[in-house]
Amino acid sequence: MTYLSLTAVSKRFKDDVVLDKASLAIDRGETVVVFGPSGCGKTVLLRLIAGINEPDEGRIHIAGNEVTFLEPEQRNIGMAFQNFALYPHMTAFDNIASPLKARGMKGTEIARRVEEVGELLKIGHVLHHLPKALSNGQKQRTSLGRALAANPRLLLLDDPLRNVDAKLRYEMRIELPRVLKAFQTTVIYVTQDYKEAMALGDRVAVLMGGGFKQIDHPSEIYKDPDSLDVARLFGDPTVNVVDGRIADGAVELLGLRFPLPGHLDPGPCRVALRPESIEVTLDETAAGSMPVDVGDEGRHGLAVELDAVTPLNVRAVMLLKTADGKELLATCSEDEATRLPRGHKNVTAHIRAADLLFFDQAGARLRPRPN
Amino acid sequence: MQRQTSLGRVVRVGLLTMVGLFFLFPIFWVFLMSFQTNQEILRIPPSLFFEPTLHNYQVLFSGRLETQTGTLEVRFMQNLMNSVILATSSVALSLVLGIPAAYAFARFKFRLGEDIAFTLLSFRFAPPLLVLLPLAIYFQQLGLINTYTGLIWVYQLITLPLILWIVRGYFEDISEDIEHAYRIDGNGWFKTFWKIAIPLAKPGIAAATLLSFIFAWNNFVFALILASADKQPVTVGALAFVTASGIQYGQIAASIVLSVTPTLALALYAQRYLVEGLSLGAVKG
Amino acid sequence: MATLTLDKVSKVYQARRAAPVLAVDAVDMAIADGEIVGLLGSSGCGKTSTLRMIAGFEDVTSGAIEVGERVINDLLPAERNIAMAFEGYALYPPLRVKDNIGFALLRDRQPRAEVDRKVKEVAALLEIESALERYPPMISAGQQQRTSLARALIRSADVFLLDEPMSQLEPQLRAVLRARLKDWLISRKMTTVFVTHDQTEAIALADRIAVMEQGVLQQLASPEELKERPANLFVASFIGEPPMNLFAARVDRSRSDLGLVVLDDQGEKAFRLDFDEAVDGLADGQAVHLGIRPHRFRLGPGPGAVDATVVSHSWLGDQTHIGLERAGTTFILVANGEVHAAIGDPFTVHAPMSAIHLFDAETDQAVFHGSEFRGSELRG
Repeated sequence: MTYLSLTAVSKRFKDDVVLDKASLAIDRGETVVVFGPSGCGKTVLLRLIAGINEPDEGRIHIAGNEVTFLEPEQRNIGMAFQNFALYPHMTAFDNIASPLKARGMKGTEIARRVEEVGELLKIGHVLHHLPKALSNGQKQRTSLGRALAANPRLLLLDDPLRNVDAKLRYEMRIELPRVLKAFQTTVIYVTQDYKEAMALGDRVAVLMGGGFKQIDHPSEIYKDPDSLDVARLFGDPTVNVVDGRIADGAVELLGLRFPLPGHLDPGPCRVALRPESIEVTLDETAAGSMPVDVGDEGRHGLAVELDAVTPLNVRAVMLLKTADGKELLATCSEDEATRLPRGHKNVTAHIRAADLLFFDQAGARLRPRPN
Repeated sequence: MQRQTSLGRVVRVGLLTMVGLFFLFPIFWVFLMSFQTNQEILRIPPSLFFEPTLHNYQVLFSGRLETQTGTLEVRFMQNLMNSVILATSSVALSLVLGIPAAYAFARFKFRLGEDIAFTLLSFRFAPPLLVLLPLAIYFQQLGLINTYTGLIWVYQLITLPLILWIVRGYFEDISEDIEHAYRIDGNGWFKTFWKIAIPLAKPGIAAATLLSFIFAWNNFVFALILASADKQPVTVGALAFVTASGIQYGQIAASIVLSVTPTLALALYAQRYLVEGLSLGAVKG
Repeated sequence: MATLTLDKVSKVYQARRAAPVLAVDAVDMAIADGEIVGLLGSSGCGKTSTLRMIAGFEDVTSGAIEVGERVINDLLPAERNIAMAFEGYALYPPLRVKDNIGFALLRDRQPRAEVDRKVKEVAALLEIESALERYPPMISAGQQQRTSLARALIRSADVFLLDEPMSQLEPQLRAVLRARLKDWLISRKMTTVFVTHDQTEAIALADRIAVMEQGVLQQLASPEELKERPANLFVASFIGEPPMNLFAARVDRSRSDLGLVVLDDQGEKAFRLDFDEAVDGLADGQAVHLGIRPHRFRLGPGPGAVDATVVSHSWLGDQTHIGLERAGTTFILVANGEVHAAIGDPFTVHAPMSAIHLFDAETDQAVFHGSEFRGSELRG
């Protein structure tokens, strides 16, 4: 059942079109992450839903009622801000109590409720402090508590983990799903970190160029992106993009031929290749020779030069260069990386054919049709 | 520069003493004068040693000044009361008008907003003498001349722009998100203004109140032209000591001391709030 | 190119009417010719002061800085033959990007064609070819930063100093430019010291990382060493993303050769890990911090097993992060590839001996690294 709907919402600031007929529908109890590159209008979208700004066109409905032009205080929503936006002259307790007071709740009831929220968010012991006496993590939890305290029908989270360090960020990533579940609230979560989007979203809505480019479950977006732009946003390192050509039921790229799993119209295309779909072995394919088709498991071997290895958290990124100078990035596990050389070396790259994604020249996805 | 030599310290203390003496000497001298008779004041060379007298203060409090040419009525206490009424009411009115206006200028970008704000500030640029004559004529016709209402109205030229511009800056420094958060909590805009914006701009409001009070208190020309003896503040009232039989320096000094005291006390009292305001801003980042 | 040696280098800032601040505390560092060293720490840890002393923008309070055999403490920055990329870019606004990059070479009267060739090469490396003819204020922050980096890389200097060289990079470019930069530095044998607050950047680029905190060099070691053998609790909690899981624990040898009783927030027993290996140097009852890296857990039962409940689950494309809870303690597990689990599911993992790190609860110094203990592997 659709709980929040945005219908063809547009917003301009002077000549700058931030949102252009963006539409989104969210179910009750769902957590939807709005994700996009910086400056894509994510924050503006939240402000329209919160009632801080009004859209130039379009309609916003919450629970079937139109709220497009209602004041923020009439919408019964909660919002946590990226900069926390705590009231500096009120204690953490009063900050969290604020939405309860505004709803006319009784004093004893408020105290009980704030204690409860404080306990859940593990800030029970600092509720009597002013914001300036709180650590960053406690500020962040206070701001979350304030947004949640009144059990709002809709919770808006504007990149709440942006300003906390890695340790706290992971702590909250573990904790947040449980907290949100406890409140059973409908959540819109804005972030520009694709990992956070995949970690926290029941669905992810990719916002780019003023509109939603794809709205789907995180794994679907990662495995089955609708466009090259979306594919590029997910993954670190980002996808490798190479030019290919479709002919005779196969695709040619990097001098290799991969049979297609279905039918695609012949012609030039662009192929995206995830770094984890390229496996590197230290054996050296004969230099200059046409790479051999290994055949088994649909992997194809390609002679490349390994130029650099840069560890990345629990993995390592390898910079590969093909004979004609094309750069490819591949990843391997941290342990495998320790046996790789520091300087240049000729190695073999194996490409998993099943993981190739095809796009037309404009970047729209080409999906092979079953034969 | 890192390690301060004892010589450096001596030089620094010496320089500071000189600067302090330079600025404080006139005040100190006026303070001494207020306890001297006219003869002692006019003695050449002047002396730091004299028989202190409370005569000057007695004259101010009793309101009677005996001179060779007869007894003069002195309305100093009335003047002091006028100053209090005029400065307090003007500042109060300016706060009521200026704070909401400052908030509007800080938060809402409306057409001509900047121009209006600047026009208000420009009242402080024009020399008051420029508008005095027409103002006096208007006030005559409107029956506002020599009334508290008229003076308080004119004093708005002094106090309103100050309050508007200082407080506006403080409102602009408050993160809009804080106010948005309070609205989303379920509070209307007026409550947000009252519970969030005003408390957070308090140091600015305190500073603006203090400054505009001092400016209103010290005003001279408006009251000189637009008020007669019974509505005059101390600044104008001191002129009464320039009598036919000579200038009563002792009484002038005493009235200066008495009239400076309230503003000085106010400044000292407000100082800690001002400092607090400054340090609050420092940690806000 | 040359070696760079810091010998007990300290920096004290003395503000008027304030207690002196010891920003850098007797830092020793010997950097080999052609080595890449990253100074890593949070803001205010002394890393930037250290870099600025090497560059010559700050006086050295005590100690010596040597490039090769030459002590450079009292030399002017220009006399040190050091190239630097500034955090604030410090580009020359009236010069085109290409002239900014080639500035030092042109000043040394190298032929224009030669300079242009080198500028093109380094611009291609950092993907700023399209900006070469433009002026610094007209290009994006990311491009300005890469211009500043290029201006340092193009020079031939004894030592290269890079201050937060890639903090403004667009995420899509980050991985490839890091790899190219590393390739460039290695193949030209450039002795490099860079400062960063981002451990991912430090780990990607550096041969060795100097972890600093409160002016003290905590550990100077290779990224693998920092991960596998952190010298103290600070390094352990600072390095790694997701960070190392840390638990308060107590050594208990009553039931096994090495038993670890893990405690919750209240100091009550949450669960215990048992290993049948004799380990020296740990007293029965000793209070310790137990550290386990998220990706060192193994799925399923085994020695050091914990029965836990799934509290969060996220698949990130190439790895899965699973948040687990056991009796009031939470921890995170990282697995390569896709692992399925639902919130609320029971989930058993085990921490092999090689995944265990122990730090003394009082001194915070490392007392045991499982990766150094080869007993089980030998027998198994």
